[in-house]
Amino acid sequence: MVPTTFYVLLSAVLFTIGVLGVLIRRNAIVVFMSVELMLNAANLALVAYARERLAVDGQVLVFFVITVAAAEVAVGLALLVAIFKSKRTADIDEVSMLRG
Amino acid sequence: MDFVLFFLTAAIALAGAIAMIVARNAVHSALFLLLNFGAIAVLFLLLQSPFLFTIQLSIYAGAIMVLFLFVVMLLGAEQVEAAQDKLPWQQPLALVMGAGLLVIAMITAVRGGSNDAPPGGEAAEAFGDPASLGELLFTKYLLPFQITGIILLVAVIGVVVLNQQRNQAQTEETPGERPSSSVQP
Amino acid sequence: MLNWLIWLIPLLPLLGFLLNVFVIRQERQAGLVASALVGGSFLLAVVATVMLGGMPEEERRVQAIAWEWIGTGTMSIPFGLLFDPLTSVMVLLVTGVGGLIHVYSLGYMHGDPRVVRYFAYLNLFVTMMLMLVMANNMLLLFLGWEGVGLCSFLLIGFWFERKVAAAAAVKAFVVNRIGDAAFLLAMLAIFSHFGTLTFYDVEVNGQIIPGFLEQVPNLLGQTFGPEWQTIAVATGISFLLLIGATGKSAQFPLFVWLPDAMAGPTPVSALIHAATMVTAGVYMMARTEPIFVASPATQSWVAWIGVLTALIAGTAALAQWDIKRVLAYSTVSQLGFMVAACGMGAYAAAIFHLLTHGIFKALLFLGSGSVIHGTHDTQDMRKMGGLRTAMPTTYWTYLVGAGALAGIVPLAGFWSKDEILAHAVSAGYWPQLIGLFIASLLTAFYMGRQVSLIFFGTQRDPHYHAHESGRAMTVPLVILAVGAAIAGLMNLPTLFSGMPAAHLLTDWLKPVLHEEAGKFNPLLALFATIGAVGMGYLGWSVYTRNAAKVKVGGQDPAYYYTGDIWDTLEAAWYVDTLYQRAVVGPFRTIGNFLAQVFDPQGIDGLVVGTGRFFGWVATGVRQLQSGYVRMYALVFTIGVVLVLSFMLMIAW
Repeated sequence: MVPTTFYVLLSAVLFTIGVLGVLIRRNAIVVFMSVELMLNAANLALVAYARERLAVDGQVLVFFVITVAAAEVAVGLALLVAIFKSKRTADIDEVSMLRG
Repeated sequence: MDFVLFFLTAAIALAGAIAMIVARNAVHSALFLLLNFGAIAVLFLLLQSPFLFTIQLSIYAGAIMVLFLFVVMLLGAEQVEAAQDKLPWQQPLALVMGAGLLVIAMITAVRGGSNDAPPGGEAAEAFGDPASLGELLFTKYLLPFQITGIILLVAVIGVVVLNQQRNQAQTEETPGERPSSSVQP
Repeated sequence: MLNWLIWLIPLLPLLGFLLNVFVIRQERQAGLVASALVGGSFLLAVVATVMLGGMPEEERRVQAIAWEWIGTGTMSIPFGLLFDPLTSVMVLLVTGVGGLIHVYSLGYMHGDPRVVRYFAYLNLFVTMMLMLVMANNMLLLFLGWEGVGLCSFLLIGFWFERKVAAAAAVKAFVVNRIGDAAFLLAMLAIFSHFGTLTFYDVEVNGQIIPGFLEQVPNLLGQTFGPEWQTIAVATGISFLLLIGATGKSAQFPLFVWLPDAMAGPTPVSALIHAATMVTAGVYMMARTEPIFVASPATQSWVAWIGVLTALIAGTAALAQWDIKRVLAYSTVSQLGFMVAACGMGAYAAAIFHLLTHGIFKALLFLGSGSVIHGTHDTQDMRKMGGLRTAMPTTYWTYLVGAGALAGIVPLAGFWSKDEILAHAVSAGYWPQLIGLFIASLLTAFYMGRQVSLIFFGTQRDPHYHAHESGRAMTVPLVILAVGAAIAGLMNLPTLFSGMPAAHLLTDWLKPVLHEEAGKFNPLLALFATIGAVGMGYLGWSVYTRNAAKVKVGGQDPAYYYTGDIWDTLEAAWYVDTLYQRAVVGPFRTIGNFLAQVFDPQGIDGLVVGTGRFFGWVATGVRQLQSGYVRMYALVFTIGVVLVLSFMLMIAW
């Protein structure tokens, strides 16, 4: 069996890549995708630890994460569409009306 | 055998993730993400989680990614980053921070996990059975499970309301035709 | 019975005040109610005095305590009234003259749009004056002291539409504050050295509160002040009290407010600024006489301030054209007589002069009010002349008042002034005597001048038709004229051995002031009479003969000979100008600097600068809120990295 640490390391790298995606990309949809990537990285760590401890609870948590992520994506994308309707762009830098 | 499979999938997942944030075209990004999701689903299987493997494929790779692709194409937002970057200094700083975060996360991972192989035996053989997961869902995690249902309902309503606002804006010129079911958020 | 009766004396005017403030809206009702209540107060005072007279001499002191006013620690100040011979004569003067002036005001203030308010103020004044003279402790006296000051302010500025009146009111108030501050300090000093503020021992709630006047001998030998210059306690306290008296009783150098106070209605001048309030200082000095007597140093100051005031004001009165300003300076001068009498130890004589002066000066002011009324608000004597025929009642009563003031035998002023002078002779105050004698000659002269200018000659300003005033005004004049003629009876000296009813007042005041009656000095009386008659005649004849030279807006006939001296006298020795230059001017400069430089640049600069500073900072900080989600996310990440590093370091 592959040691849990390998999985968790992979999870850490994937998570960091997701963070970088959020920070660097300006396309709102890609930013969103990066968020999903971060969620997945977290899921991976959860499942890895669940396997190590032989506790199904970790898997239940992942189940919830996936469900909530589905809801989140639905609402988030609806918001993106709404913003796009008024701004005619998906560039998050254009959505800066709340600046001081 | 396990190791070979793991490293292969891990490489595919990493490649997909990096390619996703690097790709200029949003459609490509979505497809690379799909690749990453698939790889992770395989990792789930390696970790004796067949049920999660299933829903990872059906919900993430299926429903969510389709939704992403659909929106990208609907909005024509494949390439929005043609314009000059307004925060040129932000990118290097983000990379530094990302590196910091990576170091911290990896240290934590190494310190937190065990390098030994996970336990085997009979208990390990029975682990990951979808039936046991379902049983836990409907007993110990019944309340969170139901709350999840409510969250999904709220999400559905939210999406409908967000749509309705647009309809309202269009029908505002003719108030008589305003649908009586319109709900203000 | 006297215990509750004396409460009614100040309460009746207070009731009048409350009625006039809250209930009455009609001129006639207001005047009648106000007059009737003060009249009732007078009757009660008569009853109370008679009852007091029925007591044995040593027991003639009634103290009625309402409640313990202030009680903290060792301090216990009762809210109590005192009724003894000294108080009784003051109460009779205040309510008697006050009542007549109320009646007079009915005629004088007729048709004024704010007459109800006027009577309310007048009633409040009488209440406060009664509190002042009936207080059994310093604090209550101070309450009355400030109360009459307030009423004085309100009544001087009664016609506040006139800038002059408003300014005069403020001036009176401000100048009085100087004296009041000294009075307060005196009160504090008294409390710190005696531990009490009541005048005499009094029982409150079964406890005896000691009176400080009975402990004055304890002060002997006690000193305070810096080591290089110690001051006897008695001197310190009495000197502070003296400063208080100079403010209220318009003595040098604080007399400047009184002539200006004539901007108020004339009955107010008669009541407050001649008969009652301005005598409060003299009353207070008589009341605290033991402290003054304990300090020869202060006594000589008192005497000299009195003499100096009498001379300065007497000379200033020579050169005034305003009918009321003559009387105002004359009042200051006569107050100087009283204060000088106090300083020479003749407190009974001072009170005697206070009473007679209260009567005849009220008469003169009311008479001048009648003249002003009859000549349609003319106050400049250059515009008058020959009013003898048009206003006979006013003329005759005025003549009595002027005679009394000048000291013509046998009118009231002669006896009281003569008693002061006689005391100066018998006690050997020769320099003071000379000063006071000159002042009394001046008095006779300027009264002769005034009578001549008003009533003799021919009317110089043809623009008005002079007429006699109505009943409400002439009746009080006649009553006061009778009073001014016979008031000397209350304290006649022993003219011949075995004379009945001699020095009644001195005997009456004996339980309070412990004074023996002075001896009659025939030589001095002769000199004084000759001087008064001669100077009065001189003043009258000079201005009657030169009546043709007096022109409206022109110079005095004497100006040709005196020139600059005349100007000096008219400006009252430039004391006012001195204050203007030395005090008011610098204050104005400082005020202007503060208002025009310090406030806009210093204060406003600070305030506005603070606002600008934060605005400036906010403009900088605002830039952080760029609105870019990526920025926020980055900052958020930085925070996460920092927190996680920290946690990692701790967990290591």
